[in-house]
Amino acid sequence: MTYRFLHSSDLHLGKRFGNLPEDLRGRLREARHGAIPRLADIALKSGARTVLLAGDTFDTETPAPDVRRQALAEMAHHALLRWVLLPGNHDSLQAAQLWNSLRTEAPANVVLAMDASPIELASGVVMLPAPCTTRRPGRDLTSWIDGATSPEGTIRIGLAHGAIRDFSEEAGAADIIPPDRAVRSGLDYLALGDWHGPVAVDPRTHYSGTPEPDRFKHDRPGQALLVSIAAPGAVPEVTPVETGIFAWRTLPLHLLPQDDGVTLLTSLLPASPLRRHTLLRVAVSGRAGLAGRTALAAAVESAAPEFAWLELDAVGLMTDLEASELDLIDRAGALREAAEALQAEGLDPARSQAEREIARGALERLFSYSQQVAS
Amino acid sequence: MKIAALRLYNVRRFARKGVAIEGIGDGVNVLCAANEFGKSTSFEALHALFFQPHTGVPKDVRNLQPYSGGNPLIEADIVTSQGRFRLTKQFIGGKRATVESLDDRRLIAQADEAERFIAGLVRGGTAGPAGLLWVRQGITGIEERDRKEQEGERRVRESLLTSVQGEVEAITGGRRMSEILDACNEELGKLVTPTMKPRANGHYDIAVDNHARLVEEEKRLSAEVVALREALDERAAILRRLTELEEAGGRAERRGAVEKAEAAFEAAKLHTQALKTAEAETALARSWSDAAERELSGFREAMQQAGKLSADLATAEEQRAKALYRRAEATAANERAMAAVLGAEAEERAARELLARLDAALKAREAGEQLSGLRERLARAEALRVAQEEKEAALALAAIPAGSIERLRALEVGIAGLRATEEAGLPSVCVAYEMGASDTVLMDGAPLADGEERSIRDHVRLDIPGIGTLTLRSNRPAKANDALKAAEDERRGLLAASGVADLAEASLRQSQAQEITAERDRLRFELRHLAPEGLAKLREEVARQAALPPADLELTGDPEEARRSLTLAGQRVESARNVAREVQPSAGRAADLLVQAEAAHAGLRGEQSRLDAILGPEEARASRERTLAHAFLERHSAFEQLEARAAGLRRTAPDLESVEAARRRTRSAEQSAIRDEMELRERLANLNGQIRTRSDDAVEETWREAVEALSVAAGRLRAFETEVAVLVRLRTALQSSRSAARDLYLEPVLTELHPLLGLLFDDISVAFDEKTLLPHTIRRNGQEEEIERLSGGMREQLSVLTRLAFARLLARDGRPAPVILDDALVYSDDDRIERMFDALHRQSREQQIIVFSCRQRAFSKLGGTVLRAIDWQPSVT
Repeated sequence: MTYRFLHSSDLHLGKRFGNLPEDLRGRLREARHGAIPRLADIALKSGARTVLLAGDTFDTETPAPDVRRQALAEMAHHALLRWVLLPGNHDSLQAAQLWNSLRTEAPANVVLAMDASPIELASGVVMLPAPCTTRRPGRDLTSWIDGATSPEGTIRIGLAHGAIRDFSEEAGAADIIPPDRAVRSGLDYLALGDWHGPVAVDPRTHYSGTPEPDRFKHDRPGQALLVSIAAPGAVPEVTPVETGIFAWRTLPLHLLPQDDGVTLLTSLLPASPLRRHTLLRVAVSGRAGLAGRTALAAAVESAAPEFAWLELDAVGLMTDLEASELDLIDRAGALREAAEALQAEGLDPARSQAEREIARGALERLFSYSQQVAS
Repeated sequence: MKIAALRLYNVRRFARKGVAIEGIGDGVNVLCAANEFGKSTSFEALHALFFQPHTGVPKDVRNLQPYSGGNPLIEADIVTSQGRFRLTKQFIGGKRATVESLDDRRLIAQADEAERFIAGLVRGGTAGPAGLLWVRQGITGIEERDRKEQEGERRVRESLLTSVQGEVEAITGGRRMSEILDACNEELGKLVTPTMKPRANGHYDIAVDNHARLVEEEKRLSAEVVALREALDERAAILRRLTELEEAGGRAERRGAVEKAEAAFEAAKLHTQALKTAEAETALARSWSDAAERELSGFREAMQQAGKLSADLATAEEQRAKALYRRAEATAANERAMAAVLGAEAEERAARELLARLDAALKAREAGEQLSGLRERLARAEALRVAQEEKEAALALAAIPAGSIERLRALEVGIAGLRATEEAGLPSVCVAYEMGASDTVLMDGAPLADGEERSIRDHVRLDIPGIGTLTLRSNRPAKANDALKAAEDERRGLLAASGVADLAEASLRQSQAQEITAERDRLRFELRHLAPEGLAKLREEVARQAALPPADLELTGDPEEARRSLTLAGQRVESARNVAREVQPSAGRAADLLVQAEAAHAGLRGEQSRLDAILGPEEARASRERTLAHAFLERHSAFEQLEARAAGLRRTAPDLESVEAARRRTRSAEQSAIRDEMELRERLANLNGQIRTRSDDAVEETWREAVEALSVAAGRLRAFETEVAVLVRLRTALQSSRSAARDLYLEPVLTELHPLLGLLFDDISVAFDEKTLLPHTIRRNGQEEEIERLSGGMREQLSVLTRLAFARLLARDGRPAPVILDDALVYSDDDRIERMFDALHRQSREQQIIVFSCRQRAFSKLGGTVLRAIDWQPSVT
């Protein structure tokens, strides 16, 4: 008897993306909601009847009623599937109002894993959830699984939310789920949430990642894990399935002074049809001349409308000024003097980074003005 | 640097042809040719050689190409302090650039190195003016210009000191600098006010506002989120507390405790009531017992008193009798004494009356005697009066007027004096007789003794015996003795008035009068003694005395006897009164004693009757005492029994207050638990409402959204701040480099310009605009004129002079540069041109000047080296 289910997490329904333009925000939010039917489709097509959501289904402890109700409605709509919702750190049990509402409103095929106690998913298959009691529980919530025995021949599936490594600096060691929790507690599979990119900790322990990415950090497409467990103790078969609509990507672009940045950029940008659903950050580093830099900025600006979002991160790009560029400002005289003074200031290690940046900016501006008023 | 030769090949109209201008020397060089000669071509070729890189093919370079195509080749020989060099550049095809030393025919540099060599020649550093000074009516570059632009350029030629401007701009940035500054300021101005505050409704301002608004929004939302979280936490806590409160054990326990405390309290209350009753009964018994005791002891006391009282009563009666007797005695003595007093007083009265009568008789007799005395005195006084009047009459006769005697005496003395004086003034006669002469001379009949001297009054007659009569006359003046006569007249008058003959008689009369006066005064004194108040008064007194009534003159008796008997009578009265006074107090005392005795007696009688009332009849007294003693014993034992019972109750009484406190405590514990529960439920309902509202508003989502929006706004704000900083920095850099350029070059150039101006114009100076650093006004003959108003000729002359001034400056710096003038003096008249030529020649002592011009006739006067273009074929193509 092979048991098959879909493992996902971190839907973050209701996330607002306040730092992005208004219309894009709407699309991103809609895409998050769309993850539910997409997951349902994949599950149904692959013969899974259970979808485990390992925490952070909602972005906040108080999602707007429409977010909550529409999510439940969507789940109810896929009545063949059973949805298991685990409280994560964003929607912990401390958000009593949310969970009370969910308890009242949840349709029959939605299971709320609100207690640290076994839930039978199917005969011979038991799920051992470790719901987040608060935003920062300060202890290993999965420890109870150690003592939870099951009859011989039962498939044990753990469901938890949190870090196994110290991902962030602030998290104390106490919160951390032991990486060997699955082996230690005799779990066939431990479905983890919290990390937005997919991570295989060991063959039995996986972070599914979010089905719909929401930041540049991970640079991976959204996906879910289709898990098949042939028998108790068997190594689960884990298949990633792409689910994301929007791609969040960082494009590193290292320039040498003689490189033609615009050409390089053009060759690296994704194919046109994908651009509409791509949020791209071009991270430029290296060195470029004033003209090259200006041209690169202009190229990014001209390509931007094709993308859901396109930004140029030029913090790492050093500006090189060539003598000819200074000549374009003026060959001699007071303007040239001013330009050279600014150039020297921009390179002066005795000055603060901010001062150097400002001097460089002033020089670039002088360059562009001098071209505008040329002769 | 100096240019020695210029050669070009395949440049514009010289397709497949070459032209060379050789032998360009120091000082002024003139290439004067008609317009179509290719003068401008030469000029532009020279410019391209120095300023266009050989690798590039910009328009300026393509313009050099002839219509038929080909590769322009330009070559120039130059002389510098390092030696002589040949610069060669070929453009478009076969691009090359070389520098060759003409001293040793060595290739010094080519390609980029050659470009660098050339750049080093024309740019004496970025801050200074270029090493070549072009005066081509403001055009320093060789640019393609369309017709319209050329038209515009002409206008510029006419309106501005363009070539000066070009050079000034080379140093100061000039108009470009100004335009860039303007652009910078304009952009800054869109963002901030001159005081660097964000400009209202500008993008910056909006970003600031937006940021501030979002900060507020975020703060508000974050507070709401915190409030929501707190509410959630509080609700969880309340729910826990409610569970605790609702646990069955807790509530029942509180109830049981309350009930137990209530029962204890009731029991304690009953006990307390019983105790109170027992205590009241005890108190009553005690009062009964006390009353019985009092009655018994009162009876016994009365018995004792009754015994003592009967003895006292006997004594009191005895004393009363004594007092009665004593009072009767005292009363009798008193009456006797009073009778004696009355008798003595009657006697005394009789004695006094007799004495009075005797006195009156005596006084009457004395009055009669007095009257006769008075009459006698009156008679004497009247006699005296008469005598006095007689004397007064005698005195009137004898009296001489007062002062008459003294006057008479004075007159007598005066008359004697006057007479003596007269006598002394008279002639005198004296006779001395001979011894023995018998006869005597008679004077007026009287003998004149020997040696006797006689005075002669008026005349005298001397009878001299024997001789005859001798008459002597004095012949004195008539009035010689008037004073004497007057005195004698007055004496006579006085004597007559006083009735006396002479002074002696007058004195006698005066002493008589004094005697009479003394006599009169004595009489008057005597009279006044007798009748001090006058005769009339005396007379009245006599009359009054005589008028008094006659008294009982017949009573006789001895008044002394009578006075003695009166004294005795008084003594008797006094002694009788003393006796009475002695007796009286003893009578009073006796009366008082009696009253006392009576009172004591009465008091004792009252006491006796009171005791009798208490004690009752004598025979029943003993049995009554027994009854009373028995009753007391009974009562007392009853009291003691009750007291013992109450004490027992008191000992076992519970502390009602602590029992009640326990009851209160358990009750309030129960109530507060109930109240707590109610309050918690109320608070819970409240919180539920709040949480539901906030949850439905999705505050956390909104908050996160605001946080993200805030970070965007903050980024935008930072970008604006950076933008402002960048613009400010740029502006500062531009301003400071411009003012540095001005300080470094403009002042020196003005210094150089001044003598040149003196050559051409009288009394003229140029002012430069502070902002653009371009020539702005001219001060001529004390009048300021705008540069724009000057004539074209003057403007171009100024421009050439300025250029020459720059050249001098460069030469001073040890970097001499050729000045190249292309049709620079189009508008100047011949006279002025000559002066310009003077200036050029003056300058050319240290300077190479190359002049291109089409004004052959005018420039023939310039002198200098005349240049000619000759055909040329490059050695290498």
